[in-house]
Amino acid sequence: MKTKRLVMMGILSSMALVIFVAEAQIPVIIPIPGIKLGLANVITLVSMSLLGRRDAACILAVRVTLGSVFTGSASAFIFSAAGGVLAYAAMALTIRRFPEKMLWVVSILGAVAHIAGQLAAALYITAAPGIFYYGLILIPAAIVTGAFTGLCAGYLIRPLRRLLDNR
Amino acid sequence: MSGKAHFWIILFAALLIVCAAAFLVLSNRGFGGTVAKIYSGGELIDAVDLRSVAVAYEIVVETEMGVNTILVEPGQISVRSADCPDQLCVRQAPVSDSVVPIVCLPHRLVISVEG
Repeated sequence: MKTKRLVMMGILSSMALVIFVAEAQIPVIIPIPGIKLGLANVITLVSMSLLGRRDAACILAVRVTLGSVFTGSASAFIFSAAGGVLAYAAMALTIRRFPEKMLWVVSILGAVAHIAGQLAAALYITAAPGIFYYGLILIPAAIVTGAFTGLCAGYLIRPLRRLLDNR
Repeated sequence: MSGKAHFWIILFAALLIVCAAAFLVLSNRGFGGTVAKIYSGGELIDAVDLRSVAVAYEIVVETEMGVNTILVEPGQISVRSADCPDQLCVRQAPVSDSVVPIVCLPHRLVISVEG
C-alpha cells in the first residue's frame, strides 16, 4: 500500500476518534443509555469516497475499538459498533448509485441506519419496546444530522482528494 | 436542482414530519406506570411508588460489581452517581414512566417503572 494512502488512513482514523470522543461528551436528552448523534459518520463517508469501501471499513473498525478504549466503556462499544456497522452498510450499498453532488442522500441514509443500529442495541440491552417511541424523534434528528454531516463531507472530500492525488 | 434531488428532499422531509408528528401524538397520550422497581443482577430488590414520594431520598445499591446511588424524587427516579466506568446510567435522564428503564450494564442494575 502506498505510504501516502496509509498516512491518509491514519489521519482519517484520528479525525474519526476525535469526533467520537468529543461527541461522547454531548449530553443527549433522550433517556436511552449510550445514544449518540453519529457525527463520526462523516469520516466513514469521506473515507469511502476517497479510499474505497474496504479501507473505510478498516477506519471504522479502528474508530469503534479505540473509541471505546478511550471513553472507557464496554457498553459504548456495543452502541457505537451497532450504529457504525449499520451506517457503514447503508452507505456502502448506496454510495455507488449517487453522483458526488448528491452525497448528502447517502449521508442521511447512513445516519438513519446509525440510529436504527443504536436502537437495536438499546433494545437488546434493555428489552424495553418503549424504545421505539424515542426512535420516532430520533429519526428526524438523524435526518438533520445526516444532512449536516453530508454537507461537511462535501467540504472535506475536495481538498483531501487533492492532497491524495496531486502531491 | 434536478428531479432526482427533489425526490429525496421530499421523501426525507415527509419522513421527518410523519415521525415528529407521531412522536408528538404519543407524547400527549402519555405512558402509564408509577411503581419504580429496582433490579440487581436480575432480582427485584426494591420497589417505590413514585406518587407517594413526598421528600427526595437516596437508595444506595452496593454489590460486588460496584456501587450505584439512586435518587428517588416525587414522580421520578434517577441514578445520581455510580462507580461504573461508562457513567451511562448517571448521564441518562430521570425516568418517570414505563417507556424506558435506566440500566447500569456493568453493575447489572435495572430501574424500571411499571404498572
